[in-house]
Amino acid sequence: MSSLFAVGFTLAFVAMFSAIGQAFASGKALESMARQPEIAGDIRTTLILALAMMEALTLFTFVMAILMWTKI
Amino acid sequence: MFSLPATIVKAAEHATEAAAHGAHGAEELTGMAAKFEELNHVLGHLTPHVKFHIGPIPVTSTIVNTWIVMVVLTAIVFFITRKVEYKPRSAGQKILEMYIEFIGGLLETVMGKKGRKFIPFVGTVFLFILALNLSWFIPGMIPPTTDFNTTFGLSIATILAVNFIGIREKGLKHYLQHYLEPNPIMAPLTFMEQFTHAFSLGIRLFGNMFGEKMVVTVLTILAPLIFPLPVQLLGIIMGIIQAFVFTLLTITYISEFVLGH
Repeated sequence: MSSLFAVGFTLAFVAMFSAIGQAFASGKALESMARQPEIAGDIRTTLILALAMMEALTLFTFVMAILMWTKI
Repeated sequence: MFSLPATIVKAAEHATEAAAHGAHGAEELTGMAAKFEELNHVLGHLTPHVKFHIGPIPVTSTIVNTWIVMVVLTAIVFFITRKVEYKPRSAGQKILEMYIEFIGGLLETVMGKKGRKFIPFVGTVFLFILALNLSWFIPGMIPPTTDFNTTFGLSIATILAVNFIGIREKGLKHYLQHYLEPNPIMAPLTFMEQFTHAFSLGIRLFGNMFGEKMVVTVLTILAPLIFPLPVQLLGIIMGIIQAFVFTLLTITYISEFVLGH
């Protein structure tokens, strides 16, 4: 039972901090897009790349959670 | 193969039964248990399963669906490119040219003019993954990207191709020098990085598509009528973005070798 708690807590914790990090990146990107609309396309591409990098850590944890869950 | 409608009917029957008998605690508990059994049942149908055997080799639904997508894509592109004109008049050729220009633009922003020769490779990766992701919305199809065998196959093949491109573009000597680049002490790390790239590419695609599918499945079982729709709309966007991210990272990895010193 405690390991089930660990699975849920892991995902919630990681999702929270990943969301905070992505929010910082997206906010800054939106600011710079509003300031310089002519390079909005480049910024958007880089933003998606950066978000994917942050997302990857969450997904590593997701896989870890699945592994923990199936071991129960 | 795809038993979701039957499950929805059953879940609705459960709900009406519970409503008829009044909400007692014990019955509610058995209702929940039944729902989780339904969940297990549906998951059994939504996860890849063995379709048939060729000799001793089991053929899963993932392989069947991948081949269906491959055949459809190849057929569409084959019939469009039968009559290629200098000034395109058919809608198909216009769309294909737009697509190729889109991929070329992506490559040019990262690598400049010399990036355009990777259009066939990168464009195929994008189109293939996009078709695999969006095959979710064909009733009866299990999207092959929710099976980690597909995504890891794709990512390992991509990283191998990127390394071969590096050897072809820079020559073997410069390719090996790339691993010693900042400092020879870092060589094991830069070598390990290739495995990390392959792993993260595969995990990213698998995790996103699998998570999205699980959320929609659970929502369909718990509240079947309208609630899964917004998440499914998100699934369309997610499928496109994940294909785009895979392509973008492939381009970045190629540029690491092509633009390197």
